[in-house]
Amino acid sequence: MLSLKLAVSVAAILLAIGLPIAYWVTFSRWRLKFLVEAIVALPLVLPPTVLGYYLLVGLSPRHFAGRIWQAWFGHTLPFTFGGLLVGSVLYSLPFAVQPIAAGFDGVDRRLIEAAWTLGASRFSTFLRVILPLSAAGAVTGLVLSFAHTIGEFGVVLMVGGNIPGVTRTVSIDIYDQVQSANYDTADRTALVMLLFAFVVLAIVYGTNRRALALWRRT
Amino acid sequence: MALEVAIEKEISDFRLAVAFSADGAPVGLLGPSGSGKTMALRAIAGLETPDHGRIALDGRVLYDSARRINVPARERRVGLLFQNYALFPHLTVAENISFGIRRIAPDERRQRVAEHLAAVHLSDLAERYPGTLSGGEQQRVALARALAIEPAALLLDEPFSALDTHLRGALERQLRETLGSYRGATIFVSHNLEEAYRVCEKLVVLSKGGVAAQGGKEEIFRHPPTIEVARVTGCKNFSAARRLADGRVEAVDWDCTLRAAQEFAQTPKHIAIRAHHVRIHPAGQAARDNSENVFPCWLAAMTETPFRVTLDLRIGAPPAGPADFHLQAEVFKQEWESFHDLPQPWAVELAADRVFLLPD
Repeated sequence: MLSLKLAVSVAAILLAIGLPIAYWVTFSRWRLKFLVEAIVALPLVLPPTVLGYYLLVGLSPRHFAGRIWQAWFGHTLPFTFGGLLVGSVLYSLPFAVQPIAAGFDGVDRRLIEAAWTLGASRFSTFLRVILPLSAAGAVTGLVLSFAHTIGEFGVVLMVGGNIPGVTRTVSIDIYDQVQSANYDTADRTALVMLLFAFVVLAIVYGTNRRALALWRRT
Repeated sequence: MALEVAIEKEISDFRLAVAFSADGAPVGLLGPSGSGKTMALRAIAGLETPDHGRIALDGRVLYDSARRINVPARERRVGLLFQNYALFPHLTVAENISFGIRRIAPDERRQRVAEHLAAVHLSDLAERYPGTLSGGEQQRVALARALAIEPAALLLDEPFSALDTHLRGALERQLRETLGSYRGATIFVSHNLEEAYRVCEKLVVLSKGGVAAQGGKEEIFRHPPTIEVARVTGCKNFSAARRLADGRVEAVDWDCTLRAAQEFAQTPKHIAIRAHHVRIHPAGQAARDNSENVFPCWLAAMTETPFRVTLDLRIGAPPAGPADFHLQAEVFKQEWESFHDLPQPWAVELAADRVFLLPD
């Protein structure tokens, strides 16, 4: 249940911040754009423990970011659901941004320019042309970040620890079960995870195909 | 009601520097690919920012580098018909046309969409998606969409290039009809000179990023100001020229001396004639040999198209081979069949009122 809550929250947050980031990454003409792209893609390469380590240290009250958080919210981030959320959002960022950006990139520039010449503002063009034509990319980004969060382990363990009901997600639970030789329980949980992941991905690919077919037909 | 353009823009090794204007009558922007036609059009629409210059439409400044004015595309009220039409694939025909007029009241909007659909004879297709339309239908939807915003200027970027040849005639007629009732400035970009000639009154000929000629279409076709313009407007025959004491012109590369009817104050460097103005007289009339601008000629090579043939001709002596020729003549097949069996030399006439002189 905790895993589900976390994944839904992460997916929602990532959709909200992933769309503008992806938009910027796709359409900005800034010379140093590649640096931002590299930073967004970091979690793909970085071991989750490294990301988790920096978050743990950075968000602790001994550091600037952590102090600000503490001053605003009255508690520290590590070992709370909030900390887990921050870590997961950062860790899944490329899984949301990249498919969304790929979707934006696939939209014919001339359609965007046509919208401008017809008097549409950038925001209106985004809502009425870019987003509908790249919906498949946005859906993929949403589901991938959701699924990726469900399956996350390293960052969760580093930032969240292993507190039942607060930060113990399914993947950590399985790890625990195995540690204490509870193979039966681990077995069942793992199987549920496997089926869940498969169903989610099947839904993504199934609906994506239908969404794509819809655009093609037009 | 006029569009005035005077802009410069440099992109890597290409420099665009053009100045022209347009009012009610459609202006054809003619030039080979890579001459800067599309870039000029995009600059007017606000999709490309020039480095210097000024663009004004009906007295409204759209761009002025000196005053740092650069009105964004969405506020220019310039309708642009894209080469590939750029219809929104996820919207119906009616939704495409109403895209730019969302701010007006729904009832009025529906009525305007219906009017524009009717104007391009597409009322039946309102609920269809662009992907299900033919190329010609898409072009008309794009035109209706551009006109729906009641633009102050209409820019057409090679509107026929994406269409099959057999569709062009009817669509061109329809476009001329639509443009006839449109009052704003119209720029029609084309690399097809005949098409530009039919649709437009005025022509602006672009070459390598600059304006090579502009003015009334008849004048430009009859007396192109430079070799380049003559080429762009389809002329194929050029010869170095030297004016003789008696006022006639020696066509050095064609081994003949010609009289030219054209008043020409400068010293001509070249003389030229269009391939379809070169007349061939069957051998029976070769007696005209002595008359002005008529010479004996031999056939070096021949190329066929369905209705016409292009003849490579050599004046004065039989050719050494198929590449040894002076001029190209274009004649209808029927005519060709009437004389191609007759013995050579034939007589070729380069009529005095058809040859023209060039200063460069």
